[in-house]
Amino acid sequence: MIPKSFYYKIGVIVIVLICMNYLYKYTYYEKDIQTHSEVINGVRKVVKDSCEVVYVGESSNTNCREDDIDKRSISAFIGDYYPTLRVGDITKPAAHAEIFYLLLKNIPESSAVKTVIVTLNLRSFDANWIYSSLEPQIQKYAVFLRGYPPLVGRFLLAFKGYDNRSEAELEKMYKHEWKTIELKVPFPLKNKTVKEWDRAMFHEGMKNPDGSKNYKLTELACHYIKTYAFQIDTVKNPRIKDFDNIVMLARERNWNLIFNFMAENTEKAQELIGDELIFLIKQNRDLLVKRYHRNGVLVVDNLECVPNNQYTDTTWTTEHYAERGRKIVARNVADSLKRFYPNHFF
Amino acid sequence: MLFNSIEFLLFFPIVTLLFFLLPHNYRWMHLLVASCIFYMFFIPQYIFILFTTIIIDYLAAIWIEKSDEIKKKRYLIISIISTCLVLFVFKYFDFFNHNMLALSHRFDFYYPEKMIQFILPIGLSFHTFQSLSYVIEVYRGNQRAEKHFGIYSLYVMFYPQLVTGPIERPQNLLVQLRQEKPFQYSNLIEGLRLVLFGLFLKMVIADNLGVYVDQIYSKPESFSSLSILNGLLFYSFQIYCDFFGYSSIAIGCAKAMGYNLMDNFRNPYLSSSIGEFWHRWHISLSTWFRDYVYLSLGGSRVKIHRWAINILVVFILSGLWHGANWTFVIWGLTHGVLLIVEGLVNRVFKTQKDKGQNTIRKIFNTIKTFVIVSFTWVLFRATDFTQVKLIVKSLIRNISVSDDFSVDPKIWLFLLFFITLDSVLLNNRFDVWCNKRHLTFRWSLYIAMILMIIVFSNVDNFPFIYFQF
Repeated sequence: MIPKSFYYKIGVIVIVLICMNYLYKYTYYEKDIQTHSEVINGVRKVVKDSCEVVYVGESSNTNCREDDIDKRSISAFIGDYYPTLRVGDITKPAAHAEIFYLLLKNIPESSAVKTVIVTLNLRSFDANWIYSSLEPQIQKYAVFLRGYPPLVGRFLLAFKGYDNRSEAELEKMYKHEWKTIELKVPFPLKNKTVKEWDRAMFHEGMKNPDGSKNYKLTELACHYIKTYAFQIDTVKNPRIKDFDNIVMLARERNWNLIFNFMAENTEKAQELIGDELIFLIKQNRDLLVKRYHRNGVLVVDNLECVPNNQYTDTTWTTEHYAERGRKIVARNVADSLKRFYPNHFF
Repeated sequence: MLFNSIEFLLFFPIVTLLFFLLPHNYRWMHLLVASCIFYMFFIPQYIFILFTTIIIDYLAAIWIEKSDEIKKKRYLIISIISTCLVLFVFKYFDFFNHNMLALSHRFDFYYPEKMIQFILPIGLSFHTFQSLSYVIEVYRGNQRAEKHFGIYSLYVMFYPQLVTGPIERPQNLLVQLRQEKPFQYSNLIEGLRLVLFGLFLKMVIADNLGVYVDQIYSKPESFSSLSILNGLLFYSFQIYCDFFGYSSIAIGCAKAMGYNLMDNFRNPYLSSSIGEFWHRWHISLSTWFRDYVYLSLGGSRVKIHRWAINILVVFILSGLWHGANWTFVIWGLTHGVLLIVEGLVNRVFKTQKDKGQNTIRKIFNTIKTFVIVSFTWVLFRATDFTQVKLIVKSLIRNISVSDDFSVDPKIWLFLLFFITLDSVLLNNRFDVWCNKRHLTFRWSLYIAMILMIIVFSNVDNFPFIYFQF
């Protein structure tokens, strides 16, 4: 039988753990935050600077091209239009809506924040991103953002109490989606799944002017298919839930909410693949724009507004724009901000 | 499932609680299902490979028991070959092909280039050896063949020691699996102590040292000799704490349910000779090789040259058991040669007897053994001979090189804490040693360990080193 002393011991352990929590909070916690979740500094900064408008985004906000004269971020350009407002940004490369939500949740209710602009990246709804090999790393730094008591957060980090799937497992997941999910379109589609489409493109290939296979372009075309050939399932796609959470949070906090639908290189997609892929991209865009308009969010649709020559990455699909591209996006966002700050626009 | 994961922290208490709630007759089933779940957390389909080995050896043992001498031997050979074939296909096939291919280029003959590139089923070498020990013991008449397929499967799959041992013998584990295990508070407490100790070794010591070891091994040429020495020292403790940690957790989990598994480590770095080291390091494997290979070859009761060959065979096989790579083979061979030299020196100078009497000599020999073992770990840790050469070359040449290798002082404190604890334990197991300590001291130690595990454990992914075997 278990002696009574055992329960006392359990009680002692619980008390000790509570004390440990405080001990940890005032000793190593901050150091751990700086090591594992330094993104929180962005939140601290916007609070400290009493920013009224906060732009939350990933690398698309800050990435620039070498020949840019003005290398500032999209959020900084937005700020230029509203010199009387304090516009701050929280930027974390490779982050997605779940992280944005957690970051926004960390903004204290007492802060000066009134308006939140959240990056809405179409690619983040794609299986390749959802099951990206970066995801465990992202989930790791999200642990300290989830609001657990400090020692619980550290405990979860120590025992990998987050989505820590291996690269192989994640690869299996997105490949499974590519293989099994059929694309349903109102016109005849030769290749029903991403896998079939990708394979067909690989075999057919992009051609050089002399008729030979252009391997680099073929690889890029295959990549476009794998990135954009999907249809958002509003029930299963985790990003939908994340953006919905952001909407709820904004309502609770009484924030003005803007979703900044990032531009994608549709020009290149059209050139490499054609109408079928463009249809899917636009179908997803329409779905998201309608869904969040319905939810009272102001969605700035930038999908087709950045020309091909303004994309900094030419061998990969990204939302990294050169100066003019960033300025176009910033201008569109700034225009829509007028609805909340008509007298501050400059 | 990893022992140092949140899943296991939920799995272990649930399995243990259900074990005691269920009547004895159903416990084997419960443990078998739990073991399958535990194993299937890695690569689920590999459970079929495990069951292939189980079925082969289960049937072989029954036939061996029923048969006459000639048939008995035939069944044993069939069983050993088929069990080892599974191991060969998954672990050694590519290694074999790779070497055959190299030979074909060297001696100009045709060899088809065919690599399988399977992911090695986790713990394959461990449960293959455990399964083999059962068939051999049945053949030798030391163990009755187990008729109950479920119990036998559980013997091979018993979750605490399924993936990296200790490699059990049927006389110990199989017998216990049939015994009724009533709940005993002392078992539970001792088991939990071992789990805590194991987690501390793995998460606080091994994983934190691993960061520095990886740094050194990734680019040895850019580090000074002193830093490389530091890396070698750290690796000695990393591998020890990693494996000792796993074994302690395994023994602790089994102990909580009342099962006693064999000890795998007994202060190996306090050994004063290579021979003694092998009596204290990975005991379940060393004794396996002693019982089933070394003694079968004649052991030491043969002529001296034959004895030397026996030693070499055992250690080369031991090296190969660890991994399908020549570095492991040479690592094993080096230990074999060292053991032979040590044996010969002992024979000539008869130093064995007075060894324990001279403290200074003992300390000197202990340090010497530790240094030798630490250097041989280079062969174990390196991915290939190029890396070995690079380490050795950098160690010799980079005396005056300056680098930015710096160790967090906390790491030294943890290491010091562990060395002190390991020395204090001296031939005792942590759970038993704790029994003799005062309540206040014991609890202070537990709390310190829990705090260190939570606050100071490394958060990067460092799989248990022996998982790869």
